[in-house]
Formats: sequence, structure tokens, C-alpha cells
Amino acid sequence: MVFRKFKERVFAAGQAAGLEELEIYGTRAKQFNVRVFEGEVDDYRVSLEQGMGLRAKFGGRVGYAYVESLDEDSVQYLVTAAKANAQINESEDEVDFYAGSPDYPRVSCYNEQLAGVSPEERVSFCLELEKAALGADERVFKVNYAITGYEEAEVYIANTKGLEQGFATNGAYSYVSALVRQDGQVKSGSKLLFDKDWSKFDAGKLAQEAVQEAVSLLGASSVSSGGYRILLRRDVARDLLSTFVPVFSAEAVQKGLSLLQGRLGELIASPSLTLVDDPLLENGAATAPFDGEGVAGRRKNVIEAGRLTTYLHNLKTARKDGVESTGNASRPSFKSPVGIAPTNFFIEPGQAGFADLIQALGDGLIIINVQGTHSGANPVSGDFSLGAYGYLVQGGRIVRPVEQLTIAGNFFRLLENVEAVGSDLEFGNPGYRGNVGSPSLIISNLAIAGI
Amino acid sequence: MLSENVITDVLLAALSTGGDFAEIFMEDTYSTQIRMLDGAVDEAVSGRDFGVGIRIFQGWQSVYAYTNDVSREGLIKTAREAAAALRGVPAGKTVVLARLAVEKFNPVRLEPRLVKHGDRVAVMKRAHLAAAGFHEQITQVAVNYWDVDQNVCIANSEGLLVEDRRVRTRLSINAVASKGQEKQSAFRGPGRHMGFELFERIDVEEIARDAAQSAVTMVNADYAPGGKYPVIIDNEFGGVIFHEACGHSLEATSVAKGVSEFSGKLGEKIASELVTAVDDGTIPNAWGSQNIDDEGTKTRRNVLIENGILKGYMIDRLNARRMGMEPTGNARRQSYKYAPTSRMTNTFICAGESTREEIIANTEYALYAKRMGGGSVNPATGEFNFAVAEGYMVRNGKIAEPVRGATLIGKGSEILQKIDMVASNLATGQGMCGSLSGSIPADVGQPTIRVAEITVGGRKEAN
Repeated sequence: MVFRKFKERVFAAGQAAGLEELEIYGTRAKQFNVRVFEGEVDDYRVSLEQGMGLRAKFGGRVGYAYVESLDEDSVQYLVTAAKANAQINESEDEVDFYAGSPDYPRVSCYNEQLAGVSPEERVSFCLELEKAALGADERVFKVNYAITGYEEAEVYIANTKGLEQGFATNGAYSYVSALVRQDGQVKSGSKLLFDKDWSKFDAGKLAQEAVQEAVSLLGASSVSSGGYRILLRRDVARDLLSTFVPVFSAEAVQKGLSLLQGRLGELIASPSLTLVDDPLLENGAATAPFDGEGVAGRRKNVIEAGRLTTYLHNLKTARKDGVESTGNASRPSFKSPVGIAPTNFFIEPGQAGFADLIQALGDGLIIINVQGTHSGANPVSGDFSLGAYGYLVQGGRIVRPVEQLTIAGNFFRLLENVEAVGSDLEFGNPGYRGNVGSPSLIISNLAIAGI
Repeated sequence: MLSENVITDVLLAALSTGGDFAEIFMEDTYSTQIRMLDGAVDEAVSGRDFGVGIRIFQGWQSVYAYTNDVSREGLIKTAREAAAALRGVPAGKTVVLARLAVEKFNPVRLEPRLVKHGDRVAVMKRAHLAAAGFHEQITQVAVNYWDVDQNVCIANSEGLLVEDRRVRTRLSINAVASKGQEKQSAFRGPGRHMGFELFERIDVEEIARDAAQSAVTMVNADYAPGGKYPVIIDNEFGGVIFHEACGHSLEATSVAKGVSEFSGKLGEKIASELVTAVDDGTIPNAWGSQNIDDEGTKTRRNVLIENGILKGYMIDRLNARRMGMEPTGNARRQSYKYAPTSRMTNTFICAGESTREEIIANTEYALYAKRMGGGSVNPATGEFNFAVAEGYMVRNGKIAEPVRGATLIGKGSEILQKIDMVASNLATGQGMCGSLSGSIPADVGQPTIRVAEITVGGRKEAN
């Protein structure tokens, strides 16, 4: 394996330069992505990407460097740059490099069947996806996105304390977005799927969901401003949870950037809410045997029946708090320093189906989309104010679509105001904030600004 | 970087299945990022990004591949894998490369590899001290430093062979103010297409104090009233509203496919006659400037809207084919890992004739958005959403109390029509713009403008 050989040279050069400890984190990824437009493949991408990050200690302090070409120049560059970066580091935090866990869980992150799907099959799936969306309703005039992709990666970690571990992972995704028009009004609807199980990729079903949503929004108008009972559809609940993921990080807590500071063991959410981080979840996009520091993964509840049970830790924050690492050290890429992120992070589903939740909502709004989570939400204060649309519900029935709303509130109040948790847990697009999932949630009150 | 022979062979391999155009983008980039929290550096990363992207067109179809294996064999293998998508026969094209000299209007004096780490850290400490010492409510200051030295070589089957270097430097300051359990943060991020001489051009202390002032004002502010009413958007980073709500819809990426609300509207009145807007990649040393774009086309000053009339779009090579128009020097990409597409460079609404003071004095009731946060837009419908980072109410022609938590929502096309006053104080602010071809540096800008009405999302009833 290419990393193993390169590692020996980096460790030798590093030790010669006086570096006290060295750790290599390497990834090698293959990606495939196809986009179809008007019956033609209009975008087709393939890539092979490899790189290696060095984390090194000098004078007890940590410095980082990375390269993408594994040649002799890169060996010298890594060692020199990481040393210089360690020399300006003034952090007082003690950082441990990890010698390895006694046992690593056996998890399957690599689906052989998925890996065996040919590029041709993926292309025809994508062509079918666009065709199905165009044919799903006569009001569809354009399918602005029909995308399918696949990626696989090898992850490798090794350090001078004796750790050497690796694993392979893969996954496929598909996204379709359709535009419908009626009486001059244009609406869009979309559907995203990320899964390791290729049999879940049903073009007709994905297209139907996207188009039905777009059509259901035709004739939307605003509502008057005020407080409403709200049903957050699963994907919206997930987007909000994903936006506020940093508040659960022990690093944010220790730096005073999380309002969950000092609240361990307290009731911070409705008793109907349990929040789980599970790196061993079967078929999970973020499933992995170990984290970004080589610590073995384990399942834990972060919120249990409304009570905050733990923060997410890596080795550095765990040492500071005098606890064990929760196995949440993250390396979003070989370029990134060790941080903290959840793995498969989700609100445990309840019993009620989506239709039951609408019934239980009675009078209120269903929110099926929020925009602006990267700008209209403040992870420090928990405040959010987001563009939104959805449906007006009266007497337990959907009355009409609504648009041009903003929903405003505070994430921490929202957790307290969860009245019911649905059974429809769904995950989104895994990213540097982990693989986040949620069922639909009823919130007893949120402020809405309309016309 | 690569020899002309290797480039020619790779381009021919890319054309081996019937492609009618092939392009190579090679990149060797060094960057340094340093993070300082509360006055102490706690993280520093240096890196070298190195790889090649290969793109093939056949009519309107596009194929993209990239690799870090830049050996002749590795590149030809990658070119063939990409070409496999087309399944045609070679059209018998030949490639004759001719090296093109680039006119360099973004001079760089203190290039990153000559800058000492200690000097970088010293600038960061100055920013920290100025912000942290501004007010007792400032409880945290994060300062980030970033410099990047990107060397690119672009070649294509039409014979173009061109090299360019882009050096950028940026300092960003995030100040957090606290009051009891409440916290508010404010961000400033000055940057230029230049080296370390950036710090001879900007007043680090003043910018840091400005961030601190903003955070303190907001932590002591009450929530903004929701409703539909006039909004005055200040100059500089206020231009993000035009960038998000209109700029993205003028990119060929959405125009060519007819999914933009501005598709097919050239020559039509799409904005108030007070609005003239340009995208200009040729401003010396500006954050979004480049000598050439990422397809090797010279950057230009493109008029988008003139006195309310739609005059032009921002167009890359592939979409130029779809639209039957010329590329405008707007093809950009984060790195060799992205196929380029039409993107903004430095985009702004041009100066008008009012002044900020006049606009405020002539307004009975409005939200004054002094600093905008980020935002996003759905290019299909033009619906946008922006956060107001620092806001005030205007009452009876005067700036009144500060307000927080406001967002502006609406449609780009409607807002453009509703701009009813434009000041002369054009200024720009720096941002990182994320879209299909990755995250790229872009300047946004405008003078102070007034919009007759926007839906303001807030938590209180309007009063």
C-alpha cells in the first residue's frame, strides 16, 4: 500500500529533524458523478484523489501539513512545514497521540454489491430518473437536476506510538429536482438519497416524491405573522439539528462557545427526545471502526429522554474534562486538523407516522423546507431566522401551501418544545458535520413572519 | 510545469472518443492557515495541493476527470477514463500549442513563501488586542490568517497554453460579545489578490475594533420587528444581497438552461432605472480579480445591468455553446478538483447620486441593515434569504435603536424593481462564494441603497 511506504520515509525524516511524535492520516478516494439534462448526459466526472496529512509534535506543541503528491519533495515539505507550524503554536492543551484501542468493532462500511455497479448502470439510472420526473405530471416543464454518484475511499492512520489502522468505505447518492408551472407560478421540489444499498435506488419513487412536492406547492401564498404550532418535516428537523451540531462538541463547550456548558445531567430537551451518536449503525454513511485519532467507535446517547448525558469528545477535550474520548475525533479530510464531529447522529424515532402527526398538529403549519441555515442561524446563541415554506393545517388537515415565510426561534427552546416525535427517521447528505438524521417533530410554538 | 509534448499527448487521448474540445488545468498551490483564539495561536496548517483536471466537450456534453497522478502514464490513463464516457470515434483533430503571454495587472510584492511565520502571527496579535480591548463585553476573539500561492497552467485543444499565478492574503476577525447568557458575534474579513503588503493597505486595528463594536451593539439590541416594510441596505458587504439574489441568476450556469428568472430577458427592464451593475475581474489586486479566468480567457469588465436594462450575463465556454454567445472571462473553480463554470469575480451595484445621510433623512420608517450576514438563493425561483448581522430601526428620518435577528426574504427580480434610492458611496467587501465549482474568493459591493419594501423576518410584531 502506497501510504505504508511513504509513512516510513516521513517518520525517518521527521525524527531526524527532531520531531518528537508523528502521525500520518491518509485517504485515497475514487469518485464518479453523472448529471443528466434533457435526455443527455451533460456532466460526467471521474476522479482519483489521494493525499496525506502529517500531525507532528515539536516542543510538546502540534503542527500540521499536508501534501497530495507522494514524492521526495513532499517528504521534506511535510516535515519542515509541520515543524514550523508547531513552533508558532501557543496552545497550552496537552495532546496525546493514541497507541490504539485493545479491540476494534467489526463493522461493514464497504458494500461489495454497490461497488460492483458499473458506470453504465449508474448512467442509465440517472437517465431514467430524469425521464420519470418529466413524466410524473404534465405541469413539470424542467428537471433542473438529475444526479447520481458513487464514491469509495480507503482511510489509513499510523503514528510513532505504534498505531496503524485502516478501512474502506463506499456509498452512492442521487438527487432530483423538478420545476412545475401553473398560471405563471413556478415551484420546485427535490429529493435526495444517500445509501450503500443500491436496491433502494428506485428512480420512479424518487422522481414521484420530488414532483409531488413541487405540485403540492402550486398556488402557495403567505400567512399572517404570529406564533404557530409547527410540524417540522423530517428533512427540515434534520437541517436544523445539523446546523446546531457544534453545540454538542466538547471543544465548543470548553471554549465557551456552547450554551450547553455546565448542563450535563440536566433536562435540556423534551422528555420525548433521545439523541444518539452511533458509529456502528448498520448501513450508516458515517459508519467506521475508529475515529480520526484511531479511537474505537461506540454507540452512545447524547440526550436521553431529554437529559444531556455527554458532550462529543476527542482525546484532547476528554483529557481536559477527565473523561474517556467518545470516539468523535474528526478528520473531514487529510488536510484538516483533528476536530470533533458526530458520526451517525440522529433523533431516535417515535411511534407516530407523518399522517398521525398532521392529525396531532390540529391547527398550525407544516414546514417542508428552510433556507439560509448557514447564515440565518447562530450556533453560539442558538437563534435562527430562516426562509421557509410548507402547508397550512386546520383541524388536522392540510388546507393549502404557504410560502415566503420566515420561521424564527431558538434551537434550545425548540428542543424543550418538542411535543411529538415521528417514526419516519431519515438521514441526509453526510458531510463534515456528520451523518445527521431526524424523524418529523411537532414543536408547540414558533414565530412566523409572513405578510 | 508539464512539457508541451505530454500536454499534447494527453489532449489527444482525451479526444480519442470523438470529443471536439479538450482542456488541461494543472495546479501547484501552497497555502498557510493560522488560527488564533483569545490571543494564542492554537492551530496552523500548511499544505500543497497538486493535481491535474482534464475536461472534454462533445457539443453540449461535458466530461471531467482529475487526478494527483501527474506522470505521463497517469494522465493519459485519466484522459482515457474520461473519454470513455463519450463512446465515439476520433474526429481526427490535431493539437498545435502556442504559448500565450498573460498581462499581469495584479502585482504581488511580498509573496507568501518569503513571509516569516512570526510576521503573520504579529499581525494576528494586533487584531486580537484591538478587538479584545475594545469593550468589557467582548469575551472572545478569534483571528484567522490565510495566504495562498496558486500556480496554474491551462492548455486546450484549440492550441491555448497559458500560465498564471494567483496570490491572495486574508485576515479574518470574529468578535464575540456576551451579556449574561446571551452571545452575539460579528465578523470582518479583509482580503486582496496580493501578498503580505495587504497589511500596509488596511488598518488592522480599526477593522478589529469595528467588529468588536458590532458585536457589542448587537448583544445589547432587542429583536427586530417582522413584517413587510422599507429596508436601507448599507454599502460594502451590503452588496451580498445583489450577489446572492441577482448575481447568481445572471450566471450562465442557470441562464443557459432556462432555469434563471432572467433567462431570455436581455434588453428588458429588470430593475429600477437607478440600478447599474457590473462584474469586473480586472480591478488591480481586488479579492475576486484574476489576470485570466480558469479556462485561460482574459478577465473583463462586464456590464450586467445598465439603468435598469439587462445588458449581459456571465458566461463560461460550455454555456457559451448552449447560449450561442461569447465567454466573458468568468469561468472559475476552487481547484483542479472542480470543472470550471460561470462565476462572479467582483460584482457590484454602481454608485448613484444620493448620500447615505439623504436616504436616512428621507425615510420615515425602515430597517437600516448596516452589515449584512451571508445568505442563499434558489436560482430557479429567485427566492432569497439573508441574515442582517447589524441592524437599526430608522424612525422619522433618524437612526434609532439597534435590532438583531432580522432576515430579509423575497425575490431578486422584485427587489431590483423596488430600489428607490442609491447613494454614491460605492465600497466592496470580501467573501467566499460557494457554488457548483467550489468555494472561490469574490468581492461583493454597492453604495447604500433603499428598497421600498422587503419581507423582514423577525420575532416581534411590526410597530
